[in-house]
Amino acid sequence: MSQEYPFKIYKKPNLRNPSLVLGWSEDIGNLGRKVTDYLNRKLKGQEFAEIEPEDFFSLSGVTIRGDLAQFPESKFYACQEHELVVFQSDSPRAEWYRFLNSVLDVAEQHCQVKELYVLGALVSLNAHTTPRELFAIVNSPDMKEILSQYDLARDMDYQTPHGERPSLNSFLLWVAKVRNTHGISLWVPIPFYLAAMEDPQAQKKVLSFLDERLNLKIDFSDLDQEIREQNEKLAQVRSRLPQIDDYIRRLESNLTLSEEENGELIKKIEDFLREGG
Amino acid sequence: MGLRLYKAPQLETPILVASWPGIGNIGLIAVDTLRGILEAEEFGEIEPWEFFYPKRALIRKGILEHLEFPSNKFYFKKTEGKDLIFFIGEEQPTEGGRVYAEGRKAYQMANLVLDVAEKFQCRRVYTSGAAVALTHHTIKPRVWAVPNSEILIREIKEYENTVLMSDIEGRGGHGNITGLNGLLLGVAQRRGFQAICLMGEIPVYLQGLPLSYPKASKSVLEVLSHGLQIEINLDKLDELAEKVERRIEEFYQQIPSEVRGQLDKLKHVTYPKPTEPGPITEEEEKRIMEDVEKFFKKRGGGG
Repeated sequence: MSQEYPFKIYKKPNLRNPSLVLGWSEDIGNLGRKVTDYLNRKLKGQEFAEIEPEDFFSLSGVTIRGDLAQFPESKFYACQEHELVVFQSDSPRAEWYRFLNSVLDVAEQHCQVKELYVLGALVSLNAHTTPRELFAIVNSPDMKEILSQYDLARDMDYQTPHGERPSLNSFLLWVAKVRNTHGISLWVPIPFYLAAMEDPQAQKKVLSFLDERLNLKIDFSDLDQEIREQNEKLAQVRSRLPQIDDYIRRLESNLTLSEEENGELIKKIEDFLREGG
Repeated sequence: MGLRLYKAPQLETPILVASWPGIGNIGLIAVDTLRGILEAEEFGEIEPWEFFYPKRALIRKGILEHLEFPSNKFYFKKTEGKDLIFFIGEEQPTEGGRVYAEGRKAYQMANLVLDVAEKFQCRRVYTSGAAVALTHHTIKPRVWAVPNSEILIREIKEYENTVLMSDIEGRGGHGNITGLNGLLLGVAQRRGFQAICLMGEIPVYLQGLPLSYPKASKSVLEVLSHGLQIEINLDKLDELAEKVERRIEEFYQQIPSEVRGQLDKLKHVTYPKPTEPGPITEEEEKRIMEDVEKFFKKRGGGG
């Protein structure tokens, strides 16, 4: 497809000066999908636009996730009462610059979005009992100043290591900067043994910041319950499997595990959580 | 998507020499070495963001300060003989995780490079890459030359240590050049430029290693400097080639002796014409290829 605008707008939302929250579907700990799903559920997000997949994804077949065939999706939702636009998408595999500009075209030209929040997760070597931190990277000094009143780690220094590539979030932040749009990339660390599962504590950390910053007034009781349930399950694993308890204790004491121990911890926790405790 | 030219040098029917990375980075090293020796001056670039994923982010005190993309730069050099334009691409624009450029992006990039060539009334283009060959790393690599017009064949036949595809056993004058080093030839043909791709030979068993192969770059440069009628000192490239050769020799000694025995036969390949009997039989050639393939499969990489 070579059309100028590779997106479809079904219904123009009635928003005045909203913010955009953006999450990728295949994130560590499924963070992007879970947080954007949660926002849409709690704030009654209505799908209003999508980016067509054919220029940006390999359409040679479908992937299977959770027993279901999955087709790449890049959808916009409007939470009208809360002046919020949510974008949930698979990560594009090609034409990244055009894809990211298309996201911002919809956000800015059709919704008058004033700033964007892009979600990301990091793999952490900390135990799940360590409180989650929230890191923020911004694309302008002004935005950094605005964020000073929130509980965020805002002074990160980082350079992409040799042999690695920057995240798509950094690419988006840069594209937004070129377009003079304020952008914030939020990063929450997720314990490595939950990276392939879910981490409601990490979700809550991000959501609480968005709630405060965007004045969303979300009732988190359901997510708090989810956190309690996962903590209980993890406590059960520890009591049933002394070896796993020992590994987690060591992580809690800031000790590192061997590669083999890491592997065993990941496998046991994943097996236990998948079997439902 | 565009070109940014910072300067407008006065050039007289310059020759364009372009290269992108490929196997053993043979062409890229050759062209970049020539650019360095001649101290060619940067004068423009292709804006990279529509072609490439960024390669480095710099974040300071929580602020995204810089995003670096693979470079695609133009350089020029006025010489007593011929004026030159160099184009050096740090990466090939790929779509969907492929190694070599193909499709729309590749075509767009080739055309942008030729837009600059056209702007400066350039009519001749050289590109450079690698030719994977049944040869040995102790043998001086030849240069396979592929022109985009009949008229260039006679000229190529005068180049030393250079063969046309029809000179290579079993090829019958056919083959393909993957990626932009090849594509540029085709696009140049469409737009009326004369173009030649010079490919330095790399032994088949080295093609999958993460090593450059400057020995072949030197062969390419010898041919290129002859074609451009310029004299250059290649001592630095010799030093680099010796260094890499030592690493290749270390790797070679790790190859099981049975496979190495087969590869040693490549030292005696003398590239006969198809009608002449070869120094290794077809059966032996097949066995060498099978052994090489098996060895690399076992190592879990290469190829």
